[in-house]
Amino acid sequence: MKWYDRIATIDRRIIYVLLTVLVILPFFVKVTIPQKIMPQTQKLFDFIESIPPNDRAVMISFDYSPQTQPECHPMAKALLKHCFARDIPVIGLSFDPEAPGLAVDALVSVEREIDSLATRKEDSIVYGVDYVYLGWKSGRIAAQLDMGEAIAGVFPRDYYGNLIDSLPLMQNVKNYKDIAIVVILAAADYPIDWIRYPQTRYGVKVAAGLTAVMAPQYYPFLQTGQVSGLMSGMKGAAEYEKLVLEHGYACALGTAETGMNSQSMIHLLIMLFIILGNVGYFFARRAGKAPR
Amino acid sequence: MKRRLPLAICFIMGLVMIVQFFIPHPTSLAFSSVIYKWIIVLMAFALVLAIGNLIRHHGEKIRRRKEDWPYSIVTLAGMVAMAAIGLTWGIASDSLYQKIFLNVMAPLGGTMFALLAYYMASAAYRAFRARSLEATLLLVSAFIVMIGFMPFGQYLHPRFPAFAEWIMTVPNMASQRGILLGVAFGSIATALKIILGIERSWLGGKD
Repeated sequence: MKWYDRIATIDRRIIYVLLTVLVILPFFVKVTIPQKIMPQTQKLFDFIESIPPNDRAVMISFDYSPQTQPECHPMAKALLKHCFARDIPVIGLSFDPEAPGLAVDALVSVEREIDSLATRKEDSIVYGVDYVYLGWKSGRIAAQLDMGEAIAGVFPRDYYGNLIDSLPLMQNVKNYKDIAIVVILAAADYPIDWIRYPQTRYGVKVAAGLTAVMAPQYYPFLQTGQVSGLMSGMKGAAEYEKLVLEHGYACALGTAETGMNSQSMIHLLIMLFIILGNVGYFFARRAGKAPR
Repeated sequence: MKRRLPLAICFIMGLVMIVQFFIPHPTSLAFSSVIYKWIIVLMAFALVLAIGNLIRHHGEKIRRRKEDWPYSIVTLAGMVAMAAIGLTWGIASDSLYQKIFLNVMAPLGGTMFALLAYYMASAAYRAFRARSLEATLLLVSAFIVMIGFMPFGQYLHPRFPAFAEWIMTVPNMASQRGILLGVAFGSIATALKIILGIERSWLGGKD
């Protein structure tokens, strides 16, 4: 077997072993590589920065499942830390039936982290005052449109069964007029419905945190201003974590930084193997062994 | 009558819902709010149908001892157990339901998705060949985007991130916009065909 045949037919088990090693490595060898912030991530951060404290709320639609948790969960946590640190009320909800468990985990873990660092009672996070989680609802588009009239009409009770009207935060948040922006954290095409329906009808601002494969679809909306900011995949999550840390809203980076290193290693490995495969193919073609 | 009545309801409701979307009058908004609530309830019933279908499908599989039938027992037992645990002890953040979701469901889902990385790496190595000009262009742009979006891409060349961003905001956006417009026009045409009764496959039956 010629050398070019050999590099074009490497056993897949070798690829699998290398891939496993490179995914695990960054978890043990901590490397922080300074990275450039993408304009769309900066735009979302700046928008949240521009919301006055204790004014209008940020609505976060948790629409991701465990499969895409590594990409979307760090986005959720970084965004929540940013909002809570700036005293911006948060209203969570979900239209993906798998999402509530993860939404509760993100909200409660950030709440506990902030509470553990709080030195005064006013600095701690209180459910119903600083945030509310409405839970899951069927009929996504209908629910999104109906919330433009009254959120309580669509979600009469929150995820835990409390009457919406009994929660102090919801006394000031009735519909989209009281929402500064809706941020959709999703692994599927959920943000497009928010753009098509509630934004068209009620003018609500929309931003998104999406998996890397979904993000390219939203560039046209970013250019037109229909999307006010975008976190794109693990990179977007790592960038937002960095911005939150740099502005003093968090004490440490989240998991996206490590995830980003693992992902970069895999990308390099895949590129290396694609180059090897193509070099092998090129020389085999020159020798008349491979089809054109 | 069996076909005319649903067609008439579809025509009237289709037109009314289009018109009301553009009329912000309180009467119009109150009407649409009622319809939206109906839709939410109807969609919830679809979930009940889905659960019924799941039970019937797997029940039948277990009864007939079809291939891999023991997995159907796991599916049904999992569904019943999670529903019972949630209804009995609640779904709060420190509940048993939440613990099972985070420690069983989440890792299993993540594992299934992570396997894709192995298949993708192997498939990219075997199939991603610069056989034609188009394939070469795809290969080169994929490399630039991947390197540009890596944290150390900027150290390979300072212009890599900007070039990757350009690929995303110019060629990618142009094609995405074309696809979006195509889908939008297709959706409008299909909606009109359904409202006007030209497209009737949603009614079921042979014609």
